[in-house]
Amino acid sequence: MPNLSGRSAAIRSVITAFLLERRDGKLDKLPADDPKRAELLAQFQPAVWLEDAARRVSQIQAVTHSLKPIHPDAKGSNLYCPPPRLAAQTVVGSHCLGESFATDVVGNAAALDVYKFLKLEFEGQSLLARLLAGDEDALAALSDDPTQAHHWAQAFTGLVAPRGRVASHTLAKQLYWLAGEAPLRDADFHLLAPLYPSSLVQRMYEQLQEDRFSEAAKEARQAKKAGEFHERPTHDYPHLAVQKLGGTKPQNISQLNSERLGQNFLLASQPPQWHSRDVLPLLDTDSLFKRFGRRPEVRQTVKALHTFLAANPPKNVGTRDTRDDLADGLIDEFLLFGAALRELPPGWSQAPECKLPDEQKVWVDSGAFSPENLPPNWADELAARYALWLNAALSTTDAMTMGDPEHAHWRNDLRDALAAYDWELRHAA
Amino acid sequence: MLHDMPEINGLLVLPCLRVQNANAISSPLTWGFPSITAFTGFMHALERKLGADSPLNFNAIGVICHAFEPQTTEGGFTRAFRLTRNPVNADGSSAALVEEGRAHLDITLVLGFSSDTLAAADETTRQQTAQRVADAVAGMRLAGGSVMPALPLAGGSSRQRRPEMLPWPLHYQAEKADQAWRRLRQRWLPGFALVARDDLLTAHLAELQTQNPSATVLDAWLDASRLNHRAVRVNAPDTPERVEWQRDARPGWIVPIPVGYAALSELHAPGSVAGARDRETPFRFVESVYSLGQWIGPHRLGSAQDLLWWSDFDADAGLYRCRNAYRPPASAPIPSPSSAEDPLQDPDSPFAYV
Repeated sequence: MPNLSGRSAAIRSVITAFLLERRDGKLDKLPADDPKRAELLAQFQPAVWLEDAARRVSQIQAVTHSLKPIHPDAKGSNLYCPPPRLAAQTVVGSHCLGESFATDVVGNAAALDVYKFLKLEFEGQSLLARLLAGDEDALAALSDDPTQAHHWAQAFTGLVAPRGRVASHTLAKQLYWLAGEAPLRDADFHLLAPLYPSSLVQRMYEQLQEDRFSEAAKEARQAKKAGEFHERPTHDYPHLAVQKLGGTKPQNISQLNSERLGQNFLLASQPPQWHSRDVLPLLDTDSLFKRFGRRPEVRQTVKALHTFLAANPPKNVGTRDTRDDLADGLIDEFLLFGAALRELPPGWSQAPECKLPDEQKVWVDSGAFSPENLPPNWADELAARYALWLNAALSTTDAMTMGDPEHAHWRNDLRDALAAYDWELRHAA
Repeated sequence: MLHDMPEINGLLVLPCLRVQNANAISSPLTWGFPSITAFTGFMHALERKLGADSPLNFNAIGVICHAFEPQTTEGGFTRAFRLTRNPVNADGSSAALVEEGRAHLDITLVLGFSSDTLAAADETTRQQTAQRVADAVAGMRLAGGSVMPALPLAGGSSRQRRPEMLPWPLHYQAEKADQAWRRLRQRWLPGFALVARDDLLTAHLAELQTQNPSATVLDAWLDASRLNHRAVRVNAPDTPERVEWQRDARPGWIVPIPVGYAALSELHAPGSVAGARDRETPFRFVESVYSLGQWIGPHRLGSAQDLLWWSDFDADAGLYRCRNAYRPPASAPIPSPSSAEDPLQDPDSPFAYV
């Protein structure tokens, strides 16, 4: 071997091992006297295989952003945008991936072995990355003939190059963004074509699979169920949705999509669910808090507040803010609860079955009283009842009892929130 | 500050619109509510639809969601989308299946505008204009869905259902502006307004980085989007050690949302990209970018600025994003020490914080 450096030779042996492994895998499936054996032996001669691979590499493209997940019939540009080269942003995007990102492959699935070849690692970096970086030793490992090696390297590094003319498609997403001042002026818009961030999706997919199905996650879940200690926290993604990409043939979309079994995870941004149609008049009960306290969101927040306060958090501003945020959540629920009930036909609380005290009737029934006849101090009374209810709901253990200061705090919170409503009632048009 | 909200001098309120079959998949990573970019896009489309004769320049838009019905399967650990049966291709083969998530929404839209003439116009003129805009909206698409008239309510509601045009700040009649704002936002109950919480994302990243310096904003975003339970050993006197699994406090309804797009390519000259929707507009490949949002009760909106979103373009960063100026209220002041209800007097009270 003329002038081959030690490093170069090592890279070449990685290549040879890869070819031998593939060749032997195929040979093993053939009977000893099959004439195809000779064919295979010839085909996997390094120079022959590399020449063929250098030709076939044009059928596939390495990408970080692909088009087909947007629509499987869309034809247009896919892009290789390495995250370190993207502009850093304060928002989340592919730039977050930094140096370690999974590259996706689109194109003819029959040429995927070329990609496997280029992914061969030496000293922690892929052959492709080395060739792209102009690694002389990697180049020399391809062939003893420098011209030949250069020719092949050029073909292989073309894997990340854009294919054909820059193009989008009628089935691709394209949207107008006002980049200037005047929406009426066409020239002030940019036409944006969002691509699918396959490398970013892959990272999120791996994280979610790990959090949901890994052995460690399962053990932590079991420990939690049994009430035993475990180092690892459990992670749950509420209302996670799964979108299928590529139907029964995820490989038609891309290599990584195939590895993900065509599953695309979607995190939920939905608003709190409030089913107004399920709201029923409050009858045969002397307190609205019985129904209010049973609402799942209310129970959850009360529990969180209880856990938080019972843990004896440090007495600082952060603690106070967290407590106020949780308490604010309860006020939100309370205002929502009243507003939903006020959508019922006005005057419903006049029914003899309605046993609510007057100050509660004002809150849940818009027709209970005329603006001139509102019970005096109804908002104060309602806020006081609310504070009593919350104190009782929190004082479930001897370890924590709520007293007058807490009562005053909860009461003042709600009274402030009710003030706006009171004003509205008295000045109703 | 850079990227401030554009000036407005009026609000246009379109209450209780029903949007049918809106797109529930808002990005490659999120679902559950149309992207806020769909609303700013709608705002620009509306201005174009009203045409050059309209004196209204829409600069910002807010959304309050009263009801949300996703068309998804229930049960199981994850949701899947109910799919429509699509027509076959011309040759009889089945068309490529693209899973589209759909949802029905009941929303109130609040548009911030600037107008030389309308903000100071009399009430009749303003109401007529508001009605004209509402009529135009009724025939439009929003986030891929159709805008329908509001459903009639079973009972009478205090909530006003007629479109309104109001000067901003609200200085009409003898009312004080903040009282008028309180009254206005009260009408948006029951419902939740979407506001930006970029501050939470930044803070959470800083927090994660104290544990792991290489944590990224993606890690912070994912961590804020999930429920974390941790085992804690609890020691109480006279009892054996107990283990309690505690959920990380997640105050408020915090959600991951797409907020716009970041450039992946240069800005291609008009006409240079095959298959582009037109040959006159500069073209660019982009990807969605994400931040955190929060659904809050409308009564928490300190002013219209808290509610409204506007679209912004940062040419240097190649960033096309929607912004919102919501700032969480400073925590309620601790009652003064002279007060009889002073929690500081009781050192054991959980309210004795500084």
